[in-house]
Amino acid sequence: MDPEKVIICRCENVTLKDLLDAIDKGYTDLESLKRYLRIGMGPCQGKYCLILAASILRRRLGKNYDELLLPKNRPPLKPIEAYYFLKPPKEAKDLEV
Amino acid sequence: MVMKTRIAIIGAGIIGVMIARFLVEKGVNDIVLIEKNYPGSGGSFRCATGIRASFTSPEHVEMMKRSIELWPILSEKHGFTYRRDGYIWLLSEEEHVEMFKKIVEFHHRYAVPTKIITPEEIKEMVPTINTENLLAGVYDPLAGKADCFRALLNTLEYIKNKGAKVLTRTKAEKIIIKDSRAQAVETNKGVIEAEKIIVAAGYGSKKILKNSGVDIPLENLPKHALITEAYKPLFKPLLIDWSTASYIIQVLHGGFLIGANMKEKPDTIPVNRIEYLYLAVKIWSKYFKWLPYTRILRYWTGYYVMTPDHHPVIGPHSRIENLYIATGFSGHGFMMAPSVGEIMSQYILGEKLSVPIAKNLKLERFEKGKYVKEIAIFG
Repeated sequence: MDPEKVIICRCENVTLKDLLDAIDKGYTDLESLKRYLRIGMGPCQGKYCLILAASILRRRLGKNYDELLLPKNRPPLKPIEAYYFLKPPKEAKDLEV
Repeated sequence: MVMKTRIAIIGAGIIGVMIARFLVEKGVNDIVLIEKNYPGSGGSFRCATGIRASFTSPEHVEMMKRSIELWPILSEKHGFTYRRDGYIWLLSEEEHVEMFKKIVEFHHRYAVPTKIITPEEIKEMVPTINTENLLAGVYDPLAGKADCFRALLNTLEYIKNKGAKVLTRTKAEKIIIKDSRAQAVETNKGVIEAEKIIVAAGYGSKKILKNSGVDIPLENLPKHALITEAYKPLFKPLLIDWSTASYIIQVLHGGFLIGANMKEKPDTIPVNRIEYLYLAVKIWSKYFKWLPYTRILRYWTGYYVMTPDHHPVIGPHSRIENLYIATGFSGHGFMMAPSVGEIMSQYILGEKLSVPIAKNLKLERFEKGKYVKEIAIFG
């Protein structure tokens, strides 16, 4: 398969070739690859691309999973319309406006 | 492991990387950056990416003005995006307008071209904004934004190609000082001997310096931010709602990033609180009726590394030779990084400072009680 035609990250349109080039440039952990290629920063929040990238990185460099620096999951679990937050919460004491 | 290097920099955030970059440009490439996690992993990659010189102390203004001269040069050389998209403060109360009139006068004395603008003028720059409650705005055309990821990573790639080394996942524990001279950095992976040692480790600098017998007054203040999915470009300036000190910026990638103040205690670890999302959406939905229909993609926390006078510590230590410090940027480290890199390289190489007033920012000011004064802190 042509690495230029294999999409690793559909949200940010990153190809396998982009990933392999970045690894060759020295981006050898997922935290750095996330910022360099933006994999894991789109609407899927890394559910697909980071797992793919992790296995490719592992195969290529023979690293353990804990050396790959899997990025933190940030809320929300999936993108959510801001209008769900228009009504104030019951416990508003923490708000400082 | 015992390593030897000419320059050891603790911290590979934007500050450490920029210091290294300006040294490399002057032919000094025997540099080791010591990073406890991965490059950019502290505040640099969590910041709002805004850049401005419209501060109210001569020290801040001059350092930021120099940075704004350097940003386009760095952007071109290292291939990352930087744009002078401006800032607008949104003012809805008469007393705020009066205060900002004085601030604008101050800016003009330092050749920072801010101006008071009308709600109509705001609307021209920010289509779709509801200006109903606004009395005026303050526009700073010199302000802008940059891609915080590529600014750091591309610059890092450049210095690595020139011979600088980066040790990631390497934690600096203390600086070994003998006869009032900094000699080496003790890390969890061994000792690194260096001719000059620079501490640029954000809040982590406090512990490293304390272990080395040096006190620095830093506080880690938790901050909250969210970003929406990416949308097509809608408005360029970063907007600050002055009555709540909250901001919104459409970052270069297209997402709307919102920061708003939550009550937090210094030196605590922030947790995500759903109230933050309510607060951010409430403030900015008043201005943009489309905001409720955007989708919130990510919510994260970070820190402002505060000093007692909200100005950074930059420069050599007054009593310990070969020890240099650059930390405590109080929320403005990313924007200031280029001029900090330049100034630190000048200190290290014994050159004349390109921003002479930077000499007021050394650590010793706290011992002497010479705090830097601002006429107003905004944003």
